[in-house]
Amino acid sequence: MTIIHNRPLDDIAETAPTLAGNAFTRAFSGGSLWRLIGMLVLILILGFLTIYPLAMLLYGSLHSTPPGMAGEFNLNGYRSIMTTQNLIVLANTIGISLAKTIPSLTIAVFLAWIVARTDTPFRGTLEVLITLPFFIPPILTAMAWGMLANPQVGVINMVWRWATGATDPLVNIYSYGGVIWHMCQYSIPFLFLFMVDAFRAMDPSLEESSRMCGASRWTTFRKITLLLMLPVLTSSFMLSFIKGIETFESALFFGLPAGIKVITTDIYESINHRATPDYQYATSLSFAIMGLMFLLVIWQWWMLRGKSFQTVTGKGFRPSVMELGPWRWVTFAFCVLFFFITVVLPIGQLMLGSFFRFFGFYTYDMLTLEHYRNVFANSEFWRAVRNTMVLGLLGATATMALGAIVAYISVRTRWRGRNLIDSMAWLPWMMPGMVLGVGFLWAFAMLPGPIPIYGTIWALLLAYIALGTPVSVRVMTGAYHQLSYDLEECSRVHGATWAQTMWRIMVALAWPAFAVGWVLTFFGIMRELSASILLYSVGSETLAVVLMKLWANGNAEQVSVIGLMMMLLVIVFRWVQLSFIKARISKL
Amino acid sequence: MASVTLENVSRMYGAITAVDNVNLKIKSGEFVTLLGASGCGKTTTLRMVAGLEKNTGGRISIGDNVVSDSDKGYFVPSERRRLGMVFQSYAIWPHMTVFDNVAYPLRIRRRPDTEVRDRVMNALRLVEMEQYAERPSPALSGGQQQRVAIARALVFEPEVLLLDEPLSNLDARLRTQMGDDFRALQQRLKITALYVTHDQAEAMALSDRVVVMHGGKILQVGAPEEIYRRPENRQVAAFFGTPNLLNATVKDCRPNGGQYYKLSVEGQGWSGDCHAATEMPKGADVTVMVRPENLHVRDAGQVNGDLSWSGEVSQAIFRGSHRSIMVKTPAQTLHVEASSLSNVDIGRPVTVAAPVEAAWAVRN
Ligand SMILES: Nc1ncnc2c1ncn2[C@@H]1O[C@H](COP(=O)(O)OP(=O)(O)O)[C@@H](O)[C@H]1O
Ligand SMILES: [Mg+2]
Repeated sequence: MTIIHNRPLDDIAETAPTLAGNAFTRAFSGGSLWRLIGMLVLILILGFLTIYPLAMLLYGSLHSTPPGMAGEFNLNGYRSIMTTQNLIVLANTIGISLAKTIPSLTIAVFLAWIVARTDTPFRGTLEVLITLPFFIPPILTAMAWGMLANPQVGVINMVWRWATGATDPLVNIYSYGGVIWHMCQYSIPFLFLFMVDAFRAMDPSLEESSRMCGASRWTTFRKITLLLMLPVLTSSFMLSFIKGIETFESALFFGLPAGIKVITTDIYESINHRATPDYQYATSLSFAIMGLMFLLVIWQWWMLRGKSFQTVTGKGFRPSVMELGPWRWVTFAFCVLFFFITVVLPIGQLMLGSFFRFFGFYTYDMLTLEHYRNVFANSEFWRAVRNTMVLGLLGATATMALGAIVAYISVRTRWRGRNLIDSMAWLPWMMPGMVLGVGFLWAFAMLPGPIPIYGTIWALLLAYIALGTPVSVRVMTGAYHQLSYDLEECSRVHGATWAQTMWRIMVALAWPAFAVGWVLTFFGIMRELSASILLYSVGSETLAVVLMKLWANGNAEQVSVIGLMMMLLVIVFRWVQLSFIKARISKL
Repeated sequence: MASVTLENVSRMYGAITAVDNVNLKIKSGEFVTLLGASGCGKTTTLRMVAGLEKNTGGRISIGDNVVSDSDKGYFVPSERRRLGMVFQSYAIWPHMTVFDNVAYPLRIRRRPDTEVRDRVMNALRLVEMEQYAERPSPALSGGQQQRVAIARALVFEPEVLLLDEPLSNLDARLRTQMGDDFRALQQRLKITALYVTHDQAEAMALSDRVVVMHGGKILQVGAPEEIYRRPENRQVAAFFGTPNLLNATVKDCRPNGGQYYKLSVEGQGWSGDCHAATEMPKGADVTVMVRPENLHVRDAGQVNGDLSWSGEVSQAIFRGSHRSIMVKTPAQTLHVEASSLSNVDIGRPVTVAAPVEAAWAVRN
């Protein structure tokens, strides 16, 4: 979310001279032995979390047999992925991601404009409602839409047949359109959160002065507003496109049944759905997709270099909103419709599914509470709840602590090696969860015997920390950049030790960002599926994994019950976040 | 250049009246300043003239054309009013060079390229920025941005130039210089200018006429000297500097031959003569305003002025250009600005005197 907010490298270089003269750094250089040890430990931790799985991925792609078995080194893996069929997979991956990015961006821009720059009624509430889908695990909406828009027994199609007498279904979720539709539901609120503050922060006098120069509203929009927004639109586009390539759930639920494959589902299939898992193929493909991601990230960086306009000015700033007249009820209705489709419909479907004996047979005599009883009596469910909570709490805390330390060292010190740890922490950004999962699979298998991580809950924890670190570092980097050095130096001058300074000033001032990042990471862990599904084993299932297993067994009714529980959890957490941490997540 | 007329103009925000029944006529080529504390409705008035805000009452005309009439529901949008505007934040577009910023109004009007070049360079020359034409605009300092904003506002020869606190983002030294430069430019080009500021010194130095506003209403309109020396009420008097305001009762009132009336007044332990704008009945309570720089400190008992107070020096502060002396009198402590060369000892008994022209009475 915040990767775009990161300062370009030259920006950091700009602040370097002030850092050099930083009294704090000079004072601290005395304890250089402890500093060295600390840095080494940090490099070891980060190395284990990022470099090691990456190296194992490379090893795996070049080795003919699974971990721990005798084999030879060859290039068969890479040869086997060079097929025409995989060309189609690649085209699918890129095509689907593009096809979802363009409409998502358009709608997100429209929503951001409505919320930030118009007098639409209840804008504050609407903002909370339309960002909610971002926090709902995609697996839940995927399952709900699987039931809603199922061509045979989906509610939408049943209503359609009943209303029109048609025999053909109105929509079929198991299609390209279905995959894209599901991705959009998640992309739109994500992009909205990413852009809305840019819309809000734009000084309206930039537009007003254009009108004073004789330009009409429309010309002003084209020549001023759009061009000023171009940097944030470009970065949103790139980010959304990259995220689209990583996406797993949509393609898994709606693509595979229709024979539509993307890279992530292809990796998953080669491990989970073949008679003997083809690890060399999977690792080679993982490496290939990482190459693709790397190119995209370079491209993104190249596109955005030097292109950020500081359009925010403090003085004379007059937050002005456009008066839409009666049209404001149209924009209001549009936001409500979006909320209805992305949140109310899926929740409604889960409720419907949970109270009837069989999915698709919604008659009065089928009403039952049996599914609730079964789920609550199921020890596997409770174990998964416990695992998910433990992983969420531990994972979010550890990830944010790691991110806070790495960001502190890279932003506010001149220690040698700070660029190294920053890059290491950023590495997982290029690894989709699926790829990191494969990497850890090999990494854990190659560990010496006495370290039994594989098959335990710790395997998942490590993967989650690795996956969450890039975001946590960005969040904390942003927070530290905003704190002035004076605060820190002032505290030191007034006699506080380094530790006291850290605690009193930095922690006290940076904690809101920490808290926001924590919640974000927690949500991330709750919805994580692609790495979990590779790394879980009996006893360490998470809620998402249990849902997947039930779904695979065709138990849509219990899926609905668990889905509802998770939905409730999401809403409670989001409510807590909104009421106790006033900062919005887009403020990161 | 055109005149601007505001007739009974008001603006409500919900129940709040930001601008309340304002009447004002700005003559062609005149420099008029709206002056008042923050939140008194200056910006709102300016934006209504600009067409960026609709007036909820009254009528606005530019030249002979009505541009907004709330009773008839008639409203000409900003882009068709042919006005130039300089915003408080300058509103220089960061994605364009200096040249493109200034050329924008001409390009919108589809002028040929050669004309655009000439006129932009001319405008930039006026503000002494021609050597910066190809600079990207984020690489400008505050003062330079301000110049570019003025060039952009002038380039298409607008009917009227509107400026909203254009100097408030500059540091003090630059502010004075830019202000003087702008005033010279305005007089040379004979631009009609409506200027907003909360800085009284700026308003007096720049304007032909000053409009003092408070709570959305106009308190007084007049030339700077007029407003400074002959305020219509206590509020306007107190707005400029730190005048001595003394309560007194009218003993006698007679025309002094000119526009004013000469009053004989008596306060607590003092009496003397002063001027007033209107005739006042005997026994009326008035406030007499005497500015610190017009008071003189003399040795005790030595009277050579139309008004005098006796007291003793309670405080003397050296301020470089002058010396602030506080004199405690039976009526109240008087603030005197004396020459910095004068030296007075604290506790010394003195007489404070002022000429009749320096004392101005307003009704309470
Ligand atoms: N968009 C608005 N909505 C509500 N009140 C406003 C709005 N704009 C200005 N006001 C109110 O109108 C009054 C005048 O504002 P303004 O013209 O900006 O004052 P000034 O420029 O003199 O500081 C203020 O009390 C302000 O709070
Ligand atoms: Mg203002």
